[in-house]
Amino acid sequence: MHTYIVTVTAADRVGIVHSVTGSISEQGGNIIELSQTVLRGYFTIILAVAFPEAIDPRGLRDVIVARGERFDLKVAVLPDEGHHIDPVPGGDRFILTVLGQDSPGNIYRIAGKLADRGVNIVDLHARSDGPNFRLIMEAFLPPHLKPAELRADLEQFGAELGMEVYVQHEDIFLATNEPRPVRVGSSRNPEGSDVVVPH
Amino acid sequence: MYRTEDVLTTLGMVRQHKLDVRTVTMGVDLQSCASPDVATLCDRIRTRLLHYAGRLREVCQEVQGRYGIPIVNRRIAVSPIAGVAAGHDTEGLIAVARTLDATAAEVGVDLVGGFTAQVQKGWTEAEKRLIEALPLVLSTTQRVCSSVNVGTTAAGINMDAIALLGHVLKDTAERTRSHDGFGCAKLVIFGNAPTDNPFMAGAFHGAGEPDCVINIGVSGPGVVKAAVEDLVANAQTRPTLGEIAEEIKSTAFRVTRVGELIGREVAARLGVAFGIVDLSLAPTPEVGDSVGEILQVMGVKRLGAPGSTAALALLNDAVKKGGSFASSSVGGLSGAFVAVSEDAALADAVACGDLTLAKLEAMTAVCSVGLDMIAVPGDTDAETLAALIADEVAIGVINHKTTAVRIIPVPGKGAGDRAVFGGLFGEMDILPIHAAGGSGDFVRHGGRIPAPLSSLRN
Repeated sequence: MHTYIVTVTAADRVGIVHSVTGSISEQGGNIIELSQTVLRGYFTIILAVAFPEAIDPRGLRDVIVARGERFDLKVAVLPDEGHHIDPVPGGDRFILTVLGQDSPGNIYRIAGKLADRGVNIVDLHARSDGPNFRLIMEAFLPPHLKPAELRADLEQFGAELGMEVYVQHEDIFLATNEPRPVRVGSSRNPEGSDVVVPH
Repeated sequence: MYRTEDVLTTLGMVRQHKLDVRTVTMGVDLQSCASPDVATLCDRIRTRLLHYAGRLREVCQEVQGRYGIPIVNRRIAVSPIAGVAAGHDTEGLIAVARTLDATAAEVGVDLVGGFTAQVQKGWTEAEKRLIEALPLVLSTTQRVCSSVNVGTTAAGINMDAIALLGHVLKDTAERTRSHDGFGCAKLVIFGNAPTDNPFMAGAFHGAGEPDCVINIGVSGPGVVKAAVEDLVANAQTRPTLGEIAEEIKSTAFRVTRVGELIGREVAARLGVAFGIVDLSLAPTPEVGDSVGEILQVMGVKRLGAPGSTAALALLNDAVKKGGSFASSSVGGLSGAFVAVSEDAALADAVACGDLTLAKLEAMTAVCSVGLDMIAVPGDTDAETLAALIADEVAIGVINHKTTAVRIIPVPGKGAGDRAVFGGLFGEMDILPIHAAGGSGDFVRHGGRIPAPLSSLRN
């Protein structure tokens, strides 16, 4: 099985998903993962597509562009070289929330701080609403990094930038928003591998 | 990706509305420590507490760091000492109390509960001796808390014990006169005491519990108040009381879930059992962290006005419903505390004359606690204090629910004077007792008020 990563961007219109997935289907591809969003009227989709035999990425790109001509799609197709393997094995997923005054470079600075600490951002949504800035991200902390340390570090860093930064384990959000039973250990490590039982 | 609204709602509970885990209380069974030799008994108690609670502070800090939810207090509750130290004289009991006090300090907990006797149907010599030792214990230790269960629906009410406790309160208050009788704030007199209550001062490690257990007391008045306030402020039309109850229920769900998560993790890290989450809304003297303010945002602007009892009943029930869906491990008192001196809004209502002792007693018929942290005149006679206790215990015993009394006769001060206990214990104007002195003969009859009939309930 040969896997390719396809990204498509365009002004949002009805029918783009139908067009893109139709092109893939016609070429014999099977979509194994897909994520799509619309931001300020712009449509973006990223797909992982599997084919039984190797294909020419440029050929697939051309098919998608041609079929979606009326949408003026911007398309890229890359061979999947196995980067999906978890870059931070064993880490826990945390939710980072940043609230405060908007200023240019906010995300750049916060992302830099996280990169320095080895924190891997896996999902991020940020929005400026007039002078107000709001950012919510999901990130994996490396096993050696204590959440309290990162929290203290980011709180101080945020205060210097005039922003409030909160670092909370995802289990808090799962517990308060979902009716499923509370379990100790992260949802990613349901056995609670980081829980040390001394007796 | 989590919904932004969900993330901000949960974050707001911690960030703006003071959600915390009020107490992690480790319950430890001490019955195996019993010994005819006092030194051996004390040594065994210390060793056992160090064994189980030695890492409690460290683990709570780890879990607090992991989740970013403050754990405000760490506490220990032990088996009722009247049983553990049976056979020892007053000096022996004092030695045990001092051991508990010192060991609690050593492991970094602020209170240790369980200097307790359960005398609802009658008392042993050891239990009577323990009650008699209370003034000395409560006035000479820092962290030791006590409770006495004087009535149950199954057994009736032990009026001999209640009469003695009237004198105990007077003596304890006098011995802690310089602190407005604060020693009495460490003594809770129960009817139908739960055996898994993690809230001080009434906590003890009850019968039927394992060797060691972690119980959780959550906070949350601020969170519930904010939720009701938002609902009332943002609704297109005035929300009905049913809609307010739904809002409280869903907030109680969230609060309880946080408590259970933290409790389970602390228990797992210590390798001990997880017990229960007590859903009680426990106020602090801080503005914004008050049960009274919840009633105010529900529309009872003057606490003590007609409607206060109904509003409290709605609140209490909605908290229980939300919590019981959130967790199968709910216990303790689980309701709204109306601890007057600890609740700024209730204390203000007392100061302006809106909230009276009679109204507070009526309100306790629908909440889980009772006459809690109430300062009364220092010259109140012991029989009147006992009668006050008997009234409150009777409400619980007849209605198949827990009630409790924590009253402080403030030496040298009268109605309208200010009693100041400090810290989380707060302050309040001293409430007058209507017709004080009028029930001495009733109390002096002694004996036991029989258990109520369980059928024909009306």
